[in-house]
Amino acid sequence: MGSDVAQTPSPVQGLYDGPMWEGIRARAMCLQRCCSCGTWQYPPGPGCHACLSEDLEWSPVSGDGTILSWAIFHRQYLQAYPAPYNVIAVRLAEGPVMISNLEGEQPDGNWIGCHVRLIYAEMPDGAVLPRFALTD
Amino acid sequence: MSMQEGAPRMRRAAAVVGIGHTDWVGDWKRARAGEKPADCYGYAMRAFSAALNDSGLKREEVNGLIAGPTTAYERLGEVLGINPRWGGQADAVLSVTQACMAIEAGLADVVAIVYGNDQRTAGTQYGGPQAMGGDAFLSYVYHSPWGLTSQGALYALTFQAYKQARGFTEAELGEVAVAQRGWSSMNPNAIMRKRITLEDYMASNYVCEPLHLFDYCLINDGGVAMIIAEAERAKRMCERPVFIEAVGRSDLNRGATALEPRITEFYLPAQQQAAARSYEVAGVGPEDMDVFQVYDSFSVHVPLALEGYGYCAVGEAGKFLREQRIGPGGKLPTNTGGGHLSETYMQGWAHQIECVRQLRGECGERQVPDCRHVHYTSDVAGKAVSLIYGR
Repeated sequence: MGSDVAQTPSPVQGLYDGPMWEGIRARAMCLQRCCSCGTWQYPPGPGCHACLSEDLEWSPVSGDGTILSWAIFHRQYLQAYPAPYNVIAVRLAEGPVMISNLEGEQPDGNWIGCHVRLIYAEMPDGAVLPRFALTD
Repeated sequence: MSMQEGAPRMRRAAAVVGIGHTDWVGDWKRARAGEKPADCYGYAMRAFSAALNDSGLKREEVNGLIAGPTTAYERLGEVLGINPRWGGQADAVLSVTQACMAIEAGLADVVAIVYGNDQRTAGTQYGGPQAMGGDAFLSYVYHSPWGLTSQGALYALTFQAYKQARGFTEAELGEVAVAQRGWSSMNPNAIMRKRITLEDYMASNYVCEPLHLFDYCLINDGGVAMIIAEAERAKRMCERPVFIEAVGRSDLNRGATALEPRITEFYLPAQQQAAARSYEVAGVGPEDMDVFQVYDSFSVHVPLALEGYGYCAVGEAGKFLREQRIGPGGKLPTNTGGGHLSETYMQGWAHQIECVRQLRGECGERQVPDCRHVHYTSDVAGKAVSLIYGR
């Protein structure tokens, strides 16, 4: 890998983020699900925000989601992201909201409410990111 | 009306008796010429000296000190030569609140709240890998692998969803920037004074679509200070004390990192609760406000606040901006100094001074006649605060 390849910004790696990124690299993203009340959460944390149980399990997500909002960057802030590029907020079928990007075809006009599915994008530096594409 | 459960009692506990700020127009020019007029402590000291002078108090009479977010409390106290009996660190609206709390509790009776920021000349980054505030707000840094950075982008996502939910348009948002430039054109302290039209707004570049350049705040250096005194003392010593009538606050922290309160609720429930608490304590409502001041790091805050704090029905902010209007001559004079978009980006601190000046009747050409109540609101990162000032 050449040193001129833009580095994908490193994810925040708190104490609880590790298993999620391991799953992403294996192209099978898991999120924490509460064993007591069934609530899913993102980002990962020390316990269930709904019931404060610490009994959480890492469970694979379905990959289905719906776009809640989107924005188009017309200015470059990060080496790995030359403008223009998009950012979307997705409501996962499991409940949590995730910030990501829409790859491939883009909706005409309004993006909100469009159904998307999880895909795994390999960045030029080899990093793997969970992103989304429109559902056929 | 019975007091709602948990409503704060603090009412007219304290008053502003002195205000001061730096020359941000002059310092803007010097900074653009490559000079560094002061560091954050230097700006804070100049503002404090001006506020102390305005109050007529001696420095020894100041027994409380609250430092803004960019200066360390101890060092600021050292620079200002103050050994208070109460101290703290807070942002603009919470500095005012904490001063009132300390006074109400008898922990201090004259509190200086002091802010200095050299963000322009220090090159403070509000976007990119070193984004300021990431230690306090995980949302500012958590999504950088996907290229989401800069607070403007968070508001771009907010505005996109808000537009769709309410049927609000970009041109209606443009009314905010145009109105505030109308006010700043009459403010000799404002950095951006050239009037703009809606056509200028619509023709301006997107930074993070759907937000245009004119939707973004300035980044400049400066300092602001206020002296807040116990109410009875303020009446004795000051010709025109400006009372803090009431404070209300409500926070939305659940789902904050993934931006859920912004993009699904537009902070509305928090704003409504903060408003209700403050209106009940002060015994006034939105119809009684002569001037509205909104924390406007981005113009989007204004329509959200118009709905959230009860100035119009939910879904009618666009119509309000077009028909009632918030600029000079409009029904609800809003951000009458020009706000963060056009006067100075002092992170809510300069708005406090504008509240006081309007109530003192010191605003010259932009003075709102017979100003009796001024409402300041902020909703930074879902922390909704409603602060009511009165004579």
